[in-house]
Amino acid sequence: MSNPKEFPFPPQLLEATNANLPKWLEIIAAKASESLQALSLPTRKTENWKYSSRRLDLEACQPATTTLTLPEDAWLPKDHCAYFTDGVLDSDRSKLPSGGIELIAFSEAEADDIVLIENNMQAYLGDNNYPFTNLNAGKLSDGWLIKIGNKQIIEQPLALVFHNTGAKGSVHPRIIIEAGTLSQATIIEEYTGAAGATALTNAVTQVQLQPEARLTNIRLCMEPESVQHIGLTTVEGKRNSLFESHCVGFGGKLRRHDLVVKLQEEGANTIMNGITITQGEQHFDNHTVIEHVAAHCDSQETYRSMAADESQIVFNGRILIHRDAQKSNANMSNKNLLLSTGAEIDTKPELEIYADDVKCAHGATIGQLDKEALFYLVSRGIGKEEAASMLSMGFINELVQRIPVDDLKSIVLERINRFLKETFAQSK
Amino acid sequence: MLKITNLEATVDGQSILKGINLDVKPGEVHAIMGPNGSGKSTLSQVLAGNEDYEVTNGEILLNGKDLCDLSTEERAREGVFLAFQYPVEIAGVSNLQFLKTSLNSIRKHQGLEPIDAVSFMKLAREKAKQVNLDESFLKRGVNEGFSGGEKKRNEIMQMLMLQPKLAILDETDSGLDIDALKTVSEGVNALRSPDRAVIMITHYQRLLDYIVPDYVHVLAKGKIIKSGGKELALELEEKGYGWLGIDDTANA
Repeated sequence: MSNPKEFPFPPQLLEATNANLPKWLEIIAAKASESLQALSLPTRKTENWKYSSRRLDLEACQPATTTLTLPEDAWLPKDHCAYFTDGVLDSDRSKLPSGGIELIAFSEAEADDIVLIENNMQAYLGDNNYPFTNLNAGKLSDGWLIKIGNKQIIEQPLALVFHNTGAKGSVHPRIIIEAGTLSQATIIEEYTGAAGATALTNAVTQVQLQPEARLTNIRLCMEPESVQHIGLTTVEGKRNSLFESHCVGFGGKLRRHDLVVKLQEEGANTIMNGITITQGEQHFDNHTVIEHVAAHCDSQETYRSMAADESQIVFNGRILIHRDAQKSNANMSNKNLLLSTGAEIDTKPELEIYADDVKCAHGATIGQLDKEALFYLVSRGIGKEEAASMLSMGFINELVQRIPVDDLKSIVLERINRFLKETFAQSK
Repeated sequence: MLKITNLEATVDGQSILKGINLDVKPGEVHAIMGPNGSGKSTLSQVLAGNEDYEVTNGEILLNGKDLCDLSTEERAREGVFLAFQYPVEIAGVSNLQFLKTSLNSIRKHQGLEPIDAVSFMKLAREKAKQVNLDESFLKRGVNEGFSGGEKKRNEIMQMLMLQPKLAILDETDSGLDIDALKTVSEGVNALRSPDRAVIMITHYQRLLDYIVPDYVHVLAKGKIIKSGGKELALELEEKGYGWLGIDDTANA
């Protein structure tokens, strides 16, 4: 940080985007671009990037000339979905919901919505801890505000599919979700990309939960290995709100997701589940922060990971309990399974507690498949590979079963089964 | 059926079995008794094919095939079944899934089609009932949260499902109350047939009241030092191992 320009963003990433933004947005984007000039790319010495900075390869994120197609395992919902190709809403493929839940392009926002968007867009400007959020703002082509009306109960999940074809080199989706008082909804974010695309997806999702709102957010990182993914999700929960998240991530060249949840008023709760799976030389880095700002809030975090071959998984989970957050109840569990001797998992739970009447528990484990359990299965005639596969699935399945959308559950299971087949086919 | 000749085995370089000879014919039940540390459990693990144990000498022939040449799963498919002394808890893998995969692995080896879902469920329910395990146990994780007795009954249930040629019961009686002991014994007796054999490893004569053995062997310091009929167990119960010149306390 002494010399912020030591590791500048590559110029092709800083070029202005040719979007026809309204003046007020253009000003914010320009401010963000300007602040980027002073911000440095994370390096080995950047604490919260220390395991992952070497994975960054932004030079590789060049616009591709070829037409690239969807990978076969991408999930394409038939309705209640907004489909974005390289950040642009594809109206042919999309089937937007009607009633109760609205999608508003930033560029078409009016009155109060503009204020809301401005506040969100300015949140991390100039903050050296969030260089990619600045990049996201600087490269904004357009963003989307999703508003769930007060007391609206939206039964059908809304799916946002972000497809990166590689044509632009980098795509910077920006979503703001405003969940009204007493509303209930499920929003799915699926990130996918064209096979072989050497591009960057740099997504920012900001969620505000009004009192008594319940939002389930399912985030799927399904991009092909060559796409680099950096994502930030921030959540602010008001009184008695509930934010439930399911983050499913498959590895790639670079994968990074930051999930920052602030429980701001009494009774705000969160449940955060995470599944992370890597193989080959892939990587995935999860950073989560749960802030108990007000009293009587509850957080339950469960992340599980499996790393095969030479891959690497990072988990950093921080719980911060503010001085006034008495009677907080926080539970964090991170269990990791190493499926080969060459794989690496780095886990670090952090608890910072400034209140004196709280209940906090955290646990992190890294292990291998249990030898005794393997012997038990094999002694019943089950082949070694199948036994290893069954135990691995047993380790992760509990979290898969928690995903509240059946379609997604089967997509994820299928992908995990393929992973297990590939992982255990090679062993003896 | 099973012919063990001069079997020697080590674990972590330490010699445990020092020349075991045992001949088990189809239809027979053999009890192996002996003090702690005599090598009883090692023998069962070696027969099942636990790779932590190294066979350094001798052979184990099952119907003419040397088990030492077979992997653990191949032995099971050939009809070897070990009822574990300490069955392992496996969260996330249901009993049903486990049993079905196991049964189908063995059926495949026998050249049979995988069992259909309906027949499988019928079989599983029937066998669970036979060992007094509630059906709800089938859906739970393998041995997950089971009491000691429930785990042992689950072992017997698996045995009844898989119908092995050679069943090895490693201290299946330990930790069982009298009712569970009866249930387990009935399960084993139900399996007895002219073409199957059972090896029971036990500390106590109690089990032998319910499953009457054809032969009783005393294992001490890695060798069978005495063999006899079922009356040998009664004699041991009465006189203790000291009678055979074994210091029972040394290895306890």
